[in-house]
Amino acid sequence: MRKLIVLLIVIALLLPAGNSLVSAQGGPFDGKTPEELFPNAIDDQERQSAWEALMAANLPDARDRFSGQKLTIGVLASGTRGVISGAPYFWREAFEAVTGAELEIIEIPFDQMLTTLTVDFSTNQNTYDAIINASWFYGDYISNEWIIPIDDYINAEGYPKWEPDKVAAPLRQLLQWEGKWYGVVNDGDTQMFYYRRDILEDPQWQAAYEEEMGEPMVVPPRTWQQVYKIAKFFNGKDWNGDGDPDDGISLHLKVGGQGFFHFMSLSAPFAITPAEGDDPTKVTKYDNIYWFDPDDMTPVINSPGHVKALEFLKELAATGSQSQFGWDLGEAWNNFLTGNAVLLFSWGDVGSLAQDPNSSTIKGKLGGAPIPCSEVWYDRELGQFVEDPENPNCVSNLVGASWHGVISSRSDNPDLAYYFLAMQATPPILFWNVVYGWTGVDPSSTTHLFPPAGEATVEDYVNAGYDAGDVQSYITAYGQNLFDFPTTQTYLRIPGTPEYWNILDMRLAQAMVGELSPQEALDQVAEEWEEITDDIGRDYLLEIYQASIGYTPAE
Amino acid sequence: MKKRNRAGLFFLLPGVVWVLCFTLFPLLYSLGLSFTDKRIGRRPRPVQFIGFENYADIFSDNRVSEVLEMTVFIVLGSVLLTVVLGILVAWLFNHDIPGLRVFRAILTLPIFAAPIALGQLGMILFNEQSGPVNQMLRAIGAGTVYWITDPWSARFAVLIVDVWQWTPFVFIIVLAAMQSIPDELYEAARLDTSSAWTLFRKVTFPLILPAIGTVTMLRLVETFKILDIPYTLTGGGPGVSTQTYSYYIYLTGLRHFDMGYASALAYLLVVVAIIVSSIFFWRVRERYEVQ
Repeated sequence: MRKLIVLLIVIALLLPAGNSLVSAQGGPFDGKTPEELFPNAIDDQERQSAWEALMAANLPDARDRFSGQKLTIGVLASGTRGVISGAPYFWREAFEAVTGAELEIIEIPFDQMLTTLTVDFSTNQNTYDAIINASWFYGDYISNEWIIPIDDYINAEGYPKWEPDKVAAPLRQLLQWEGKWYGVVNDGDTQMFYYRRDILEDPQWQAAYEEEMGEPMVVPPRTWQQVYKIAKFFNGKDWNGDGDPDDGISLHLKVGGQGFFHFMSLSAPFAITPAEGDDPTKVTKYDNIYWFDPDDMTPVINSPGHVKALEFLKELAATGSQSQFGWDLGEAWNNFLTGNAVLLFSWGDVGSLAQDPNSSTIKGKLGGAPIPCSEVWYDRELGQFVEDPENPNCVSNLVGASWHGVISSRSDNPDLAYYFLAMQATPPILFWNVVYGWTGVDPSSTTHLFPPAGEATVEDYVNAGYDAGDVQSYITAYGQNLFDFPTTQTYLRIPGTPEYWNILDMRLAQAMVGELSPQEALDQVAEEWEEITDDIGRDYLLEIYQASIGYTPAE
Repeated sequence: MKKRNRAGLFFLLPGVVWVLCFTLFPLLYSLGLSFTDKRIGRRPRPVQFIGFENYADIFSDNRVSEVLEMTVFIVLGSVLLTVVLGILVAWLFNHDIPGLRVFRAILTLPIFAAPIALGQLGMILFNEQSGPVNQMLRAIGAGTVYWITDPWSARFAVLIVDVWQWTPFVFIIVLAAMQSIPDELYEAARLDTSSAWTLFRKVTFPLILPAIGTVTMLRLVETFKILDIPYTLTGGGPGVSTQTYSYYIYLTGLRHFDMGYASALAYLLVVVAIIVSSIFFWRVRERYEVQ
């Protein structure tokens, strides 16, 4: 008995010693300096704020599970401080410290992404454990079983905690498929409208506009028709005072340059009608339809509403530089950010890039507004155009990639892959990525938006270097774009989506340079979409399409 | 003797393996693919043998007719310009000029650059707002040329970059042919004429004709395959105006993943290239043998 007591005492005495031995190994960041953890930070403010975000993320020490493993991720190619690829590089050392694993980042150019990933999966090279992927790949990923659901991971112990419930509701659907979670939140895309607040709100310019156009300038413009008038007025005038004529709008229309996304968001209110009744978002045979007839997969991309929108886009393009037909996304943004265009519509990146003195001359001059509505639209059920300038048709969008992480079904390290993606999605780190615009991570969760929909404050952004006026305008509009519209354009997520969009991209570009008329271009798109649909399988696609847009066929 | 034969076989083996693995196998595999509806990426389904359906589809594919315009333009334009310019420059360099070696080395530099890099460089040179080409044109009062956004200007931009890269290749071969002509022939000819043009026409040109024939054939085949310069310089645009036939094969195979149809398109290109070069060889040989 005495021996037993002695033994228990010895064990009791040794336990703390054992614990202290474990703690002697230290936490994952003990002994690490912010300089070591964030070598890509450009200044102390950025480094210190990242350190604070890292500490606040409360990442579980996972070295015992992952030490010595290697994680390979595929990500959009834009460099160590570029959009979407920048964040993984920035947090790499912290991830390696907390897991003991090695992170390899493989950059894939935007226009090579589909090719690279499809060939990689199809030929069983299986290079990537995780992919920071574009949302339109889901149809192909799921139908080929290339990615895995993550529901079991979300509440599992030992992984960083992120908040699926706080993902902005419209964006949440892009991370799911048939009720299961596949994606971990990262970037959130919706296209909104930007304008030069200092110019459009200048009383002298407003007076000049009224004198020339015969009506007051609406600031910010609410409809595309108002946008056109403002762009036309400012185009060719030296409104920035540099001695050269400047642009009204800044577009980008090069094939492969992502210009087709802008046609999608512009054309939505020309071509989509909200449902009548209590729920304008209800999908019927005629309402909330943009891509295909939900009963037989006949393309509606060449409907009179779409054609009218393309004709309008051509007119709008004439209020900007001729060179924009050869621009890609970055060049169009650059034209606006360097003060050469008065209007732009695009993703949230512009709002944050405008705050970066290295890329922008318009900090403190930026205005943001929801994506414009249209005073004229086509009602497919009536078979005619409706014109109502007083009550324009307003349709929001989720256009874009909403880049976020998914895990390969062929990965040898899916746990490690999830750890990495969840780490990026922890509220402090995700918010840090959102406020530092160079990451290209746009607001995706209510924690990034202002009340009433969100919980962020202007100060949160000002502390990261934002101009208060700019961010008030930009984030408010971003939230309105996500939550305040009667309806939202449906997102195409069926198998073959990248192929459908490649064709749309190419034919739109032909229409813009005059090789085809808008009607011819969209008719060609419809014809080629039919071929893809038949080849993949009409009935197979129809079922997925109906489910993805929430359509129930009439009995 | 037997030992020597074995050693010969041993040294031959790597070459044979290389040809079998990296030339013959892909060639036969893609030939097989061209008779199937093989796709990757889309919903998995069994591959079916469809005979000549892919080949028949080519003739009703309106995308093929779209890209043929640019292909014919670039093949004719580039081959003609590179050969004419190459001969002209070679003829100039076939004279005693101070610093000849330095100029020759500089002139051949573009040939060592990757076409994809030249396309990127072209993007900078032909930038419509800040590119040096337009700056020079504006300086002389010629105005702005929309090299990337106007369909025909973009085609010429691609042509210029391709000619820039390949003229030195023609130059090197033709210059070598010119320098192999014995001086005695010129000395004898000069007894009859002192005209440089007549000397070129009557002495130089006939003797370098086989070299020109070879280089023209090589350029023909090479230009049929052009993809990298329009890919990087214009992205095939504006619209589809600078997409070539090879570009379309790339899009079909690696963007739309229709491997069967892409293989058929590629084989048709091989057949056309063989026919064109055979006709060309036949014509040159006929002329050369008559002479």
